[in-house]
Formats: sequence, C-alpha cells, structure tokens
Amino acid sequence: MIGLGNISKAFDGIYAVKNLSITVGKGEVFGLVGPNGAGKTTTIRMMTGLLKPDEGTANMGGYSITDEPLKAKAILGYVPDRAFLYEKLTAREFLTFIASLYDIEKQEALRRIETLTAVFGIRDIEDELIESFSQGMRQRLLFSSALIHNPEVLLIDEPFMGLDPFGVRMLKGFIGNLSAKGVTVFLVTHSLHIAEEVCHRVGFINKGLLTSIKSADEFRTIEGGLEGLFLSMGD
Amino acid sequence: MLFKLIKPKLLSSRNSLNARVLLRRAPFFAIGFVFWILLYIGTCKFLSFVRGIDFAGEVLSAKLLSMTFFGLTGFLVLSNVITAISSFYLSKDITFLLTKPVADRDILRLKSLETVMNSSWMVLSFIPPVFLAYGVTYHASAVYYISISSAFIMLVILTGGIGISIAHMLTQFFPARHTRLVLLGVGMLLFLLLYFTMKSVMPRTLETPEDIVRTFMSFNTDSPLLPGYWITETVLPLLRGKGPDMFYSLVLLSNCAFFLLLSSAIGRRLFRKNIGRLQPSGRGPGNGLFSGIYPGRKSALPYKDILIFFRDTGQWSQVTIIGALVMVYIYNFKSVPVEAMAELTPFIKELMLLVNMLMAGLVLSAVTARFLYTAVSLEGQAFWIIRTTPVNISGFLRAKFLYGCTAITLLIVPVVFFTNLAIRVTGGLMYVSVGTALMLCVSVSGLGTGMGAIYPKFRYANIASVSMSLGGMAFMVLAFSLVVITLSLEAWLFYVSQAGLDLAGKIQIAVCLALIGAINAAAFFLPMKIGAKRLSEFEA
Repeated sequence: MIGLGNISKAFDGIYAVKNLSITVGKGEVFGLVGPNGAGKTTTIRMMTGLLKPDEGTANMGGYSITDEPLKAKAILGYVPDRAFLYEKLTAREFLTFIASLYDIEKQEALRRIETLTAVFGIRDIEDELIESFSQGMRQRLLFSSALIHNPEVLLIDEPFMGLDPFGVRMLKGFIGNLSAKGVTVFLVTHSLHIAEEVCHRVGFINKGLLTSIKSADEFRTIEGGLEGLFLSMGD
Repeated sequence: MLFKLIKPKLLSSRNSLNARVLLRRAPFFAIGFVFWILLYIGTCKFLSFVRGIDFAGEVLSAKLLSMTFFGLTGFLVLSNVITAISSFYLSKDITFLLTKPVADRDILRLKSLETVMNSSWMVLSFIPPVFLAYGVTYHASAVYYISISSAFIMLVILTGGIGISIAHMLTQFFPARHTRLVLLGVGMLLFLLLYFTMKSVMPRTLETPEDIVRTFMSFNTDSPLLPGYWITETVLPLLRGKGPDMFYSLVLLSNCAFFLLLSSAIGRRLFRKNIGRLQPSGRGPGNGLFSGIYPGRKSALPYKDILIFFRDTGQWSQVTIIGALVMVYIYNFKSVPVEAMAELTPFIKELMLLVNMLMAGLVLSAVTARFLYTAVSLEGQAFWIIRTTPVNISGFLRAKFLYGCTAITLLIVPVVFFTNLAIRVTGGLMYVSVGTALMLCVSVSGLGTGMGAIYPKFRYANIASVSMSLGGMAFMVLAFSLVVITLSLEAWLFYVSQAGLDLAGKIQIAVCLALIGAINAAAFFLPMKIGAKRLSEFEA
C-alpha cells in the first residue's frame, strides 16, 4: 500500500533523509520513531507531497505522489504535527469544506460529519470558531477531517499530541479499528509506549538513515521494549 | 529592553537575506528604480510647466508642495490608525510578549516602532524623487535636502503618534469582542472626514475657468494648525535661496515630541484594558449566509474564502475605507464643471474620460493589490490543507481569480459607468470605456493573483502587510503601468481615428488593437501560469 523506494531529501546540501526504503502493507500500522531531527517529519511530508523527494519514489496505493499527485492524495489522509487550520471557520464548516474538496456527495458528507464529530467528541463545539479550540480539540478535528473521505492510507505525525488520556485511549482503539478495516496507517511519534501498543512494525530512523525495522513480535520480546531499542540508538 | 525585543526581528531579517533571496527580489528593485526615475522626470517636467505659468506659477508650485504634505499627513494618520490596531491588538506575537517579563512600556515602544515603520515605509520609499525634483528645479542647496528629510521624518513620527493614540481610543470606545466595529468605525470616520472636507472646499458655483483656478487655490491646506504647513514654511524659504525658518522647524519638532508622548501615555492607560476585551470569545458566529449550504468541489474554495472574508476583522476596515474613497471619487466627478472647462480645451470630455479611466485604474490596482495579490497568502500556514488534498493547483488559482475578479469587476465597472455619466460621456465612448474597464479588471486581477502566487507569504502578522510588501508594491507599479499603456494605446487609437482613416491609419489601429490584446493577455496568462508552477513546487 505504501512503497518508499530510496527516497532522499537534502536541505542546503545536508541530507535530512537519505536512501530510505520502506514498504507497508494493507491494513498494517507502521510506526517511524527516532530522535529529534532524525528525518521523521521530512519523510512523512514527502509522502504527502508537501516536499518533493530529491531522489527515489514514494507510492501510495500504487500511485506516485510526484507523478500522479491528485490520485495519490485522493486516497490519503494526513494529520500534521502542527494544527494550522482556518481559524475563522467553525468545525462543521471546516469539515464541510474538506468533504467538498474530496467531492463527497452531500448526504453522505453530512452523515460522515455527524459520525466523526460524535466519535471524536467535538459535536458540542462544532458550531464554534476554530480559533477558540484547544490543542486537543484541534487534534480531534484534524483526525475527523483526515478520515472524512474514508482514506486507504492514513499518515499521522505525532498523533497523540495535546490529547487527554480519554482522547489517547479513544485514538488507540480507533487506529486498531481502521487497521482491521484494511486502512494502512503510517505514524511518526515520540510516544514509544503507545507505538508499542498500536504498531505492527516499527522503523528506527537516525540522522536521515533507516537503521532497523522490528516487528511487534520482536520488539515486545526485547527487554526494555521499544524504549530500550530507542535508547540503544544513542549509544 | 527595546533593542532586545527588536533584535529577533533584525536577526530574522538578516538570516532570511541571502544571495538567492536577493536575486529573487532583484526584479522588484529594478521596477522600483524605474518608477523612481519616471516619477522624478514626471515631477520635474510638471514643476517646470507649472512654474512657467504667468503670474501664478510660483504660487501654484508652492501650493502643490503644501497640498502634497496635506495629503501625506492624512494618508499617514489613517495608515497608522489601521496598522496600529493590527499591530497592538491583533498581531500574533502579542500573546507571547504578554506572557514574558516585559514591561508594558517596552511592548508599547516596540509596537509603536513597528506601526510607524509598517505604515510609512511605502511613502518613505516613493516620496524622495518628488523632493529631489523640487530641489533640482529650484537649484536648492544641500541645506534644503537635509531640512526636508528631517522634517519628513518628524512628520512620520508625528502622524504615528496621532494614529496610535486614535487607535487606542477607538479600541477602548467600541464594545468588547467587536473589533470589527472598531475597524468599521475607523472607515466611517474617514469617510465623513473626507466627505465634509471635500464639500466644504468646493464652491457652490463653477461656471468659469477662473472659478476652477480659484477652487484649486481655495483648498485649505494652508492652515497654520496643520503639520503640512509647518513643513512647507520650513522648506519653502530654502527653495527660494533664503535661510531656513527656525520657528516652524521648532513647532514641528515640539509637536512631534508631544504626540509621541501622548501616544505613549494613552497606550499605558488603555492597552491592557483593551487587550483583555479582544480575546476570542469562543462563541459561535451564529447562522450565517452559508449555513446549510453544501458547496461541492467546484465551489468549495469560494465557500471557504467568502466565509473567512466576512469574519476577518482585518479585511473589514479596508473594505469600508475603499467604499468611502470610491464614494468621494464619484462625488468629485459629479461636481466636475465640464461646461466651464470646455473653454480650456475642445476635447475636455475625452480628456476627463481619460483622467477618469486613469483614476479607476489606480483604484483597480490598489484594490487588487489588497485583495487579490494577498489571496494566495491568505491561506496562511493552513496552506498544507490545499497541498495534501486532491486539489489541482491551477484550479485553486483559477478559483481565487474568479472569486476576486468578480468582486472587483462589480466595483470598478459601475464606478466607471456612473462617473462617465457624471461627466456626460455616452454612446461609443461609454461602450469603449466600460469595455476597457472590464478587460483591465480581468488582466489586472490575473496579474495580481498570479504574482501573489509567485511570491506567496504564508507567515504574516497581518494580511495588510502582504500587500505592502516589496512584491505588493511591485505589483502595484506593474498593474498601473498596464493601465497606463492600455489607455495610451487607446488614446492614440482615438487620435488616429479623429485624423481620418487612410491606409496608414488603419494599420496603426490594427497594430494598437493587437498590442492592447497581447499585452493584457500576457499580463493575465503569464503570471497565472508561472504562479501555478511555483505554488505546486512550493516547499515549506
């Protein structure tokens, strides 16, 4: 479902990501972890089309994000790490706008807005301006908007940022449900204990290089789990 | 402390300056430089012409200087009011500053400096050729140049003090959580001020050419209570080869210090109170015009843009001001004594039509700079949404163009139509001028949308600053040049057709028409195409 083939990106001659190759299957939850500045966000931004890889290919559901961006984006859902939204829209208007961009039929869009605002607990504030939302509420709204078109691939950068414990628990369950329905989830996070709970495989990235990929069976049997593996990267 | 607060901005500017950025900005500097030269030559020629008029030449020349300072004072005060409201109360760094151990006095100083710089840099950039032209025409000494430069800087500070004081008081006066009303109030005040000023200076009868000259001279810009008068009185003796008038220099200096202190005192008293009132309320906007509407893919972008536009307080003040200026503009044309002026030149109607079209072109350029050049940047840091959803960037740009162009056409074309009626232009000339206005609305809108996409600025403190940026100014100059070229070609067409249509005349007409079409098409298509390419490659 996701195929990254030797993608590289350099800024001012310094590689942020170098020759990174990952394949993620349908319904799989893949986590990319690494220290600050390792190249995680650059990787996910290349997958969304926000950055153009200098080398290599990034395919989403068989579509190249650089050659067939509209087809690739049509099956992608993206939750960024920083919630920049249209502050002067209400949550409902924002979701209506996003649904329109994906050309979802009106009744279906309204039904999905009802469902998602209920699931993510923003029904009560859906008619308030986004500018008054807390970080957690913005995160919930971002998830609603990323899922409104029933994406086949969900890319999430720091998914649990700003969420309260209820939100974290709800989201973990939700990611599991999506995976069960065949949605491929690619997430980038610092929350190792949560990645340990939700990911089927985890890739480690450091200084732009993918150092290893471990399956859930592997990292759950290692002493110290993901945290032990992560800390050993610094040694 | 003030330096500490400014330092991050200075460092940001320094860090963002590199060879690539300078290279990208090179066309803007080139456009600005050409504009400077043209403005200098134009002012020199105009001054030579005015000074050459028997008996009244020198008086008229001095009057023009006085009127220039009068206009600049009004513009700078208004610009400072608008910028101060944004800078003190709506800018994004206010929350940061208020949560740090920084005294209010230092925040006020920082914001005052920002306000004065942001609201006057445009005037500071474009006025030097005018002063230079006066100096050269009058063979003035170096003292004149030093004197007018320092006097103008004092005017900038003085108007800054007035504008900032008004901004604090307006924000205090209007009810909490209704900043829109504050800005609307500014616009309305300006409108009333302009309206009554114009009305009071226009005599009741304008039947002879003498009345027109008298009207020109009766514009009351020479009140000793106005800063423009103090500057005029300071520099005029220097232009005439006499020594400087120290009295008015001191009046200017003392007023400059007074208004600076006044703005600081008012700021200390009202700033904290006002800030508390202006925080987002968290209340919903209520059921608006578009509640219950589902736009569909084609209308999604205008749906979003219209909703945001009508809720963005920063946009409202500008709309009101433009509305007020247009009203005054139409009112002025209604008062033009065409019959009386017909004694001055036989083609007065055609000449007035040309002036009208030039004025409309200037309004078109300014409005487009404010609303279409900024259309792409208005997405702000939420632009990632457009980039990660299946939106075709060319389509996105077309949607921005269509939405903005429609609004601008609905403003400009009726203005041209009604002002034409006011000066009794009918028939063929009416069709041609309305058709030209329509064409210019499309080409200038395309130019604005495209250039805004070529030089987007997604991180801004307030959106008005984007139209005042180097790119925005370059757009204004290019857009107005397009207007001038188009109208010059049309004027030539008119001249040739009046002289009789032989073969050479027909060829000239065909060439002119082809040039008008080609220049306007290029002004529309090229920036839109380059803009779409730049945006689709945009990385941030």
